[in-house]
Amino acid sequence: MATPLQTAPDRTTAPGFIAATPRIAGIRAELLATPYSICLERPRLLAAFRRSPEGRRAARTEHPLVRRALALSHVFSHRRPRIYDNELIIGNMTSKRIAANYYIEGGSINILEDLFRLNRRAVPLKMGRTEIAELLTTGVGNLFRSVGARALLRPGRFSYFLDFFRAKRHFVTEEAGIGHQVGNYRMVVHQGLRSVYDEAAKRLEEGRLGDGSALDADQRAFFRSVMITIEGIRQMAENLAIEAEGLAGRPDLPEWRMVELLESAAACRHVPYQPARTYLEGLQAVWLVHVALNLEDFEQGLSFGRMDQILLDLYRADIASGRLSVERAMEVTAGFCLKTCETMPLYSERVDQFFSGNGVAQAFTLGGTDGRGSDVTNELSGVILNAYAQVLTREPAVHVRVHRATPDWFFEKSVELLQMGTSRPSFFGDEAVVRALEHAGMSTEHARDYAVIGCVEMASQGRTYNSSDAALFNLPLCLELALNQGRRFRGRARIEGSRRCGADTPPASAMTSFDDVLEAFRAQVRHGVDDMVKVITWLEEVYRWHRTTPVNSILTEGCLQKGRDVTWGGGLYDYTSVQAAGLADAGDSLHALKRVVFDEKRLSLEELVGILKDNYRGHEDLRVELAAKLGRYGNGDQEADRMTQLAADAFADAVRAHRNTRGGQYVPGFYSMTCHVGFGKVTGALPDGRLAGKRLSNGLAPVDGADKLGPTAVLRSAASLESRKWMNCHALNMKFDRKTVQGPTGRRALVHLFRNYFSQGGMQVQVNVLDAETLRAAKRDPASHPGIVVRVAGYCAYFNDLQPDVQDEIIDRTAHGLS
Amino acid sequence: MGSPEPLIFSLQHFCVHDGPGIRSLVFFKGCPLRCVWCQNVESWKAEAEIGFKAHLCIACGRCVERCPERAIASPGRRDANRCRLCFTCVEACPSGAMTRVGVRRTPEEIVAELRPEFPLLRDSGGGVTFTGGEPALFPEFATDVARLLRSEGIPVALETGGLFNPERLNPLTAELQLILFDIKVFDGEQHRLLCGSENMVIKENLRSLVQATRLGQGPPVWPRLPLVPGMTDGPANIRSWAGLLRDVGTPFVTVVPYHHMGTVKRAWLGLPAGPDLRVPGDGEMAAAAGLFASEGIRAYHPGEEDFPAEATTGRASASG
Ligand code: SF4
Ligand code: SF4
Repeated sequence: MATPLQTAPDRTTAPGFIAATPRIAGIRAELLATPYSICLERPRLLAAFRRSPEGRRAARTEHPLVRRALALSHVFSHRRPRIYDNELIIGNMTSKRIAANYYIEGGSINILEDLFRLNRRAVPLKMGRTEIAELLTTGVGNLFRSVGARALLRPGRFSYFLDFFRAKRHFVTEEAGIGHQVGNYRMVVHQGLRSVYDEAAKRLEEGRLGDGSALDADQRAFFRSVMITIEGIRQMAENLAIEAEGLAGRPDLPEWRMVELLESAAACRHVPYQPARTYLEGLQAVWLVHVALNLEDFEQGLSFGRMDQILLDLYRADIASGRLSVERAMEVTAGFCLKTCETMPLYSERVDQFFSGNGVAQAFTLGGTDGRGSDVTNELSGVILNAYAQVLTREPAVHVRVHRATPDWFFEKSVELLQMGTSRPSFFGDEAVVRALEHAGMSTEHARDYAVIGCVEMASQGRTYNSSDAALFNLPLCLELALNQGRRFRGRARIEGSRRCGADTPPASAMTSFDDVLEAFRAQVRHGVDDMVKVITWLEEVYRWHRTTPVNSILTEGCLQKGRDVTWGGGLYDYTSVQAAGLADAGDSLHALKRVVFDEKRLSLEELVGILKDNYRGHEDLRVELAAKLGRYGNGDQEADRMTQLAADAFADAVRAHRNTRGGQYVPGFYSMTCHVGFGKVTGALPDGRLAGKRLSNGLAPVDGADKLGPTAVLRSAASLESRKWMNCHALNMKFDRKTVQGPTGRRALVHLFRNYFSQGGMQVQVNVLDAETLRAAKRDPASHPGIVVRVAGYCAYFNDLQPDVQDEIIDRTAHGLS
Repeated sequence: MGSPEPLIFSLQHFCVHDGPGIRSLVFFKGCPLRCVWCQNVESWKAEAEIGFKAHLCIACGRCVERCPERAIASPGRRDANRCRLCFTCVEACPSGAMTRVGVRRTPEEIVAELRPEFPLLRDSGGGVTFTGGEPALFPEFATDVARLLRSEGIPVALETGGLFNPERLNPLTAELQLILFDIKVFDGEQHRLLCGSENMVIKENLRSLVQATRLGQGPPVWPRLPLVPGMTDGPANIRSWAGLLRDVGTPFVTVVPYHHMGTVKRAWLGLPAGPDLRVPGDGEMAAAAGLFASEGIRAYHPGEEDFPAEATTGRASASG
């Protein structure tokens, strides 16, 4: 994995954006020069708490919800505050400048696989010798405290535990943590945590819920956990305030910095407990709660939501009163963006092949509509975009909501940011997204208040417990299993031999029609999803007793009304979202198989399966023909697109048939992080001409090289798929050569292209504008050879056919300033 | 030259450098010029051809086996004298290494294939551009396609090398919103050497097309100069063209930088390699633009032109 802090090479800010101040440039440079590390403060504090008299008493006498809150609160209030030079938003994410938190409850343990080469990894983690020793004892000492171990190291479940190390059919990420949330930051900013604290106190005092029903012991414990947690967060803020005051008293400090630090101190004494009074306090409040959320469960996908809506009143009031200039607002916001770079995910290099480059995705969502459907894009949407343009760092993620009335200035500004090569923002079509959320049971008003969790997942902000990204599913493998009675073509003999890992479906000889194959495929998908759900169910049980999340519950509507933690089903909307990788490979394979076996009857199903088992050995001509000459998804070919829809429906229906133990609906999505690479390695040859072991198609994108007609056809195919059931959204990645889409012309072209896509019902699209560096890297690794859109005046480019030969030319052209 | 029914060798969408807005390009096969720097050499011959993309070939031998004329000795070695262009080999080839260049399509078929792009073309102020090859070799056919497109509200542009019979072009110009007119080498003798023909007619055609624009009898004309180092970028060449453009009354030009992304296509068609040409750098582009400017001609990069409004909105229908 290459996760450089910056996602784009150093480039001066584009002409349309206001450039970073020296302060922001300075902090950014400092962060870029800082090596990554692992922070062990959290496990240290948790251990200290466990050993303390208070901790021991809690273990003996307290309800698990309270015990957990006490432990977390101990972490919040005892961690050492650190304030870095020139920061406007304060509050350290970990004990180091940039580090991954070590979560003993799950996930982080995989890093021990890299223990002896931490400093030599592709992304090195800088750790001293004693720290490495501590990491080892922390990891081993807490092995049985992880959710995965608690849930699966039991009789009859052991093989599921092993699945974490040999992922084939699915990868249950929920073992690592749930994270993934867009909290109720509207409440945090405008009412303050005090509103929740007082409500909890009132419930306890009255002994009743808001609806008058009496509290049971669990509910009592919940309300206590809420109060304990808020006290801890308050103390964390107080400690920062004290630290800021201490720094402000340093004699060598210039006066202006002293004023800033005292302002920060005053802010941290006030927020997030009290409502924010200024734009700066608003961001400070959000940041402190975000830090607490990070320390609670785990870091993935913790997102900020619609900051251009939530902070707008404060922003306008500050501007009107003259307290804030637009430039200063950008500086504060850019500073906030840089704070998000202090954290990173902790993956061993093995796990990284499934999730590389994914980062943490602390996401802003900008633009969109209000509950009635009117556009609410505003000047602050532009300020936040500009702030990100000043940093162009790997975090945060930026998402833009698009609908018919999205103003051109904002759309163009967003694309201008894209042109800088950061692949941000990604775009979401309000129409399709809202439809999917409504289909999953949300009210229209709540659906319209959606914000993106992490990369593409969905929440009605502050109201949803999505437990998104709970697992990734290998869809094409189900076709392999369907063609081989539930067995992989070539299981690794030692571990599984010819063991059946899927459903017991009929042998190829007994399948006499395409419908038979389709039914077997569906059965395998159902079987795989059932299995995945089984594991998640066990995990959910453990979460309820050992890893409750009071901070998350404070930030999720419904919990206070029900007196339940989110892990107990407190959220107003509750889902478990899972996503499939390799959709296009599955669809194209169904299509190819149907054509050659059942329509054209060129060979029997058994013959085809024999060839697939042999990985097309001796049948290269058939393989290239299947890959090159049949219609494929991504070309606006109705038949191929229909097959892709069938594959998508098989997964969506299998997923939607389940409810989690909190009563929430399972919802499907189609994106793959980099799981399409990891899953590809364990997936046999497919009827679409893909060889065993090659990577699978990515998210909703066509198979690499299968799209021959350009971006409009890809978008047409994608938009033609019925996405109503995809509450967990999808990722459609497109790559453009920088020269093709540069300047105002390129900008307008992309805006039109995407507007057109969304008017056809498109749900999501993200774009990489590739520069010469990326292209060179892609060339060095032919397997990652991207299908790049290149356009040159008057020139007939045969797309993918041409690319291997002209890559150097494309690179040259991109490297130079030619159009 | 030029049969009334041309072959089309490609339709390409989401093009942003060949006229205003987002455009789909229709590539006509057949060209009277033979510019040595050409990057669309598959457009030269008006007849269908077979290309061989060696990098796709898996040496399965199907082409050799199936050829009824035994014209293929081994993959990629096709005897053009024996070949009757029956395309059996293309059909048989599993990998797409053997490809047919140039297909006959009716105007209706072309429009049907373009139709999914229409909303995008309309919304972006774009349209369809006929290019090639030389579409002006097939004015009747091009007129038919243009009429169909215009009847659905899609503006049509023509990209031409300028070597055509002006009398036959008339009905077509009435359907066009814009003509992109390629100018290359000013000196007639040099033009003959580098582009394979005299250029008197080209200059005359440019003049009369602009004349027609002025009289309201034709669409706006927009000159484009491919900037090929050592061939078209000399100060004398640029100054001479600038003089003509001033004189004709089109004080603007698009300077299209040479690229060699199409060089590989020569090998596909078995053509000898072209001359080794350099891609112009930013400095050379700027110098050319500066030279034009000093001569009173506004120079643009492709895709950055400020085309006259008629080119995007479409003129009042001249043909009814
Ligand atoms: S086109 Fe026909 S005759 Fe020519 S090489 Fe191919 S198969 Fe043989
Ligand atoms: S049929 Fe195609 S792939 Fe096979 S040898 Fe001939 S050109 Fe090569």
